[in-house]
Amino acid sequence: MEKKNSFHKFMSIPGMASVLTAFVGVVILMIIFTFMNPNFISQRNLVPLSRSICPYLLVGIGQGIVCITGNIDLSIGSVLGMSAMISATLICNGVNPILALVITIIACLAVGVVNGVLVGKFKLPPFIGTLGTMTICRGLAEIVNGNYNTGDIGTSGMATAIRDIFYYGKVGFIYYGVIVSLIIWFVFNYIMNYTRTGRHIYAIGSNVDAARLSGVDVFKTTTVAYLISAFCSCIAGFITMAAAGMGSMQAGLSYEMYGVAAAVIGGISTLGGSGLLVGTIAGASVWAILQNGLTLANVPVAIRNIVIGVIVVACVLLDIMRRNGVKLGKKK
Amino acid sequence: MSEYVVLMEHITKTFPGVKALDDVQLHLKTGEVMALLGENGAGKSTLMKILSGVYTRDSGKMEIFGQDIVGDLNTKQAQDLGVAIIHQELNMCQHLTVANNMFLGRELIKNGRLDTKEMNRQAQEQLAKLGIMDLDPNATVGDLPVGRQQMVEIAKALLINAKVLIMDEPSSSLSNAEITEMFRIVHELKAMGTAIVYISHRLQELHNIVDSVTIMRDGKYITEGKFKDFTMEEIIANMVGREITNQFPRDQVARGKKILEIKNLNAGRMVRDVSFDLYEGEVLGFSGLVGAGRTETMRAIFGADVKESGEIILDGKKLTIRKPDDAIRQGIVLAPEDRKKEGLCTKLSIRDNIALPNLDLICNSTGKINKKIEDEMIEKGKNSLTIKMPGPDSQAGSLSGGNQQKVVVAKWLARESRVVIFDEPTRGIDVAAKVEIYQIINTLKKRGIGVIIVSSEMPEVMGISDRVIVMCNGKVTGEVDPRTVSEEEIMTYATQFGENAS
Ligand SMILES: Nc1ncnc2c1ncn2[C@@H]1O[C@H](COP(=O)(O)OP(=O)(O)OP(=O)(O)O)[C@@H](O)[C@H]1O
Ligand SMILES: [Mg+2]
Repeated sequence: MEKKNSFHKFMSIPGMASVLTAFVGVVILMIIFTFMNPNFISQRNLVPLSRSICPYLLVGIGQGIVCITGNIDLSIGSVLGMSAMISATLICNGVNPILALVITIIACLAVGVVNGVLVGKFKLPPFIGTLGTMTICRGLAEIVNGNYNTGDIGTSGMATAIRDIFYYGKVGFIYYGVIVSLIIWFVFNYIMNYTRTGRHIYAIGSNVDAARLSGVDVFKTTTVAYLISAFCSCIAGFITMAAAGMGSMQAGLSYEMYGVAAAVIGGISTLGGSGLLVGTIAGASVWAILQNGLTLANVPVAIRNIVIGVIVVACVLLDIMRRNGVKLGKKK
Repeated sequence: MSEYVVLMEHITKTFPGVKALDDVQLHLKTGEVMALLGENGAGKSTLMKILSGVYTRDSGKMEIFGQDIVGDLNTKQAQDLGVAIIHQELNMCQHLTVANNMFLGRELIKNGRLDTKEMNRQAQEQLAKLGIMDLDPNATVGDLPVGRQQMVEIAKALLINAKVLIMDEPSSSLSNAEITEMFRIVHELKAMGTAIVYISHRLQELHNIVDSVTIMRDGKYITEGKFKDFTMEEIIANMVGREITNQFPRDQVARGKKILEIKNLNAGRMVRDVSFDLYEGEVLGFSGLVGAGRTETMRAIFGADVKESGEIILDGKKLTIRKPDDAIRQGIVLAPEDRKKEGLCTKLSIRDNIALPNLDLICNSTGKINKKIEDEMIEKGKNSLTIKMPGPDSQAGSLSGGNQQKVVVAKWLARESRVVIFDEPTRGIDVAAKVEIYQIINTLKKRGIGVIIVSSEMPEVMGISDRVIVMCNGKVTGEVDPRTVSEEEIMTYATQFGENAS
């Protein structure tokens, strides 16, 4: 009885049901792909798969938080590209790699501030404001190394360390990059659920007027959300850069949309105010598993894209139908 | 220190195109409940928003607890001075919990994280002070009935130790039981020494709680005094600037042929086997408690909700209504109850709002909007309802609450229909405007149009309808003649939960 009660309480946390649906989706996909190709479930496949989830998870966290405020961040992919290009260019030009990463983080956070000012202060529609920064940042990513991809970041002690921390190194079956992403995921979950900042992020997404009248600083809160988003994209950029060992001008193309997918599949509403950040890990996994599983099943690229698109829309549709169903039943 | 907790003098405030306040004064004493009265757009909400720091005044003197307020006041400062406001439109974060809403903007922090336990405890304590024991501070606000949400707002105000509480039309969306509950709380607050400004268009309820009145008209101060020194007629005359002799005009029209017949309508849990007829030349009222299924019935007829079964017969012809558009085209229209959610596009202009359901009449065959017809339509709507607005191109959301409601009604009157359904058409509307709407209902009736009116205000349904259907729990439980029936009799039908409905 006791047990049933606490389960009930757990399920009644707003948004938890959507999160669970997403996790169930992950399990079902894994079962299906295992049937299609038993190699899917092998350690040889799963361990690298865990690593490929990371960039999706990071952009999902960033986009998810911005979505909870009721906005959107289209600059995510470009900031990711900027991060990869700036850090690699600096390292290639002999800047101390640690310093290079610090400079890159600062540059990316600056984009977050600009987004915050445009949307939170000057009230630009987020779609337009961040479309602007998206274009500008892609331009910056291209220009830092004079419109060329960078060379290899080399094998100096620290450059190797960076490759290891973000991508290649591992303890047991777990890559350091996965650990880094999980720590970030954990920290932002904590912030969203247990801090004033998190509460204010939910509040402005739920009813911005009410929040303002209650003394919430809407500008500050919006900016914090965009800063988090920029930070997550920046780290995702490091991962991409570390994986390739160089900076590519194409890095991060379309990642803002992968972020939307991870967030929405994980149960976050693009309309703001609701959803739990925990779900982003399931959302990101669905995305990565689809790519990986369909490749293993030898599905051609074009067909793969169509299948992924259909499945993502179906996931979200199912969730909406389930939610409406619950609501109808409850309505008095 | 002066005897007043709030003193406002010579307050002026201008919005683009409107002088909302012109040399207004207000004197509020400790522990008194003051009714602030006036027509729609008189400036009541604006005055109170100035007092609570939402708007800044253009000029004028303001003292709160004897402290002269020099320059602008912001919401935070007003709260620190002990002034709290419950806005006309409920302002809650629907996704957050009760405790979260109460502590929004002043969350408690312990060791760097939210002290949820303590906030829940204090929220519960605060609610208990108001005599509300059965409200879980962890409940999501959006899941609560409006009445409950209001209690949360009041509790929130108390949390900042409000000594002055402003309540802007708190009763307009509450059921009778909820209003009684709210009055009890107002008395409780008064006993604790809180001064209250109470804004309402339901003049009948004032005698329960009010000590003094301040009356405004057209942005100007008119008079103030002890409530018991005024008669209701004097109050109305001061508000409106002329006498209103009959609050519920009901023209007699001979009953004609049957227009609409609803047979065994079923739609969800709140519409079970509903049947009724509507005749030419009559106004059919729907009474019942909040949540009796009246709104759901109307929505189902109008095609806004899905129907499971049932027939809709208009002028002897069986209709198929799958979506509101079907209903509108075949001559059935519905002015919905929640203006902010369903009635208005608050971000669009008044013109666009009125034109929206009538674009089929306004556009030519290629779909181009005929400006001339549109202008005529807007003009007609504006005149028949005297909507107070700077111009038809101003944003609908910038109108005072009552004038927004008039726009909702106006947009449906612009077209010729066979049946017009009004769901709570006078919510938040002043006495004079109510009479205007009743007169419009009479006009429709005389033109042979069937009118259905859903209302929770008993005097209104009784006063304006020719026949009243009472619903309870999704079923029709009675049909009465409002000229002869007593309120008690209606209540018996309205609370007929268990037994088989007739
Ligand atoms: N933000 C605003 N922008 C422009 N005009 C406004 C704004 N707020 C109020 N007004 C105008 O000021 C006048 C007074 O409005 P207010 O809301 O104070 O009226 P009210 O007395 O509260 O009416 P009601 O009983 O209908 O709520 C109205 O003419 C309204 O259109
Ligand atoms: Mg008002």
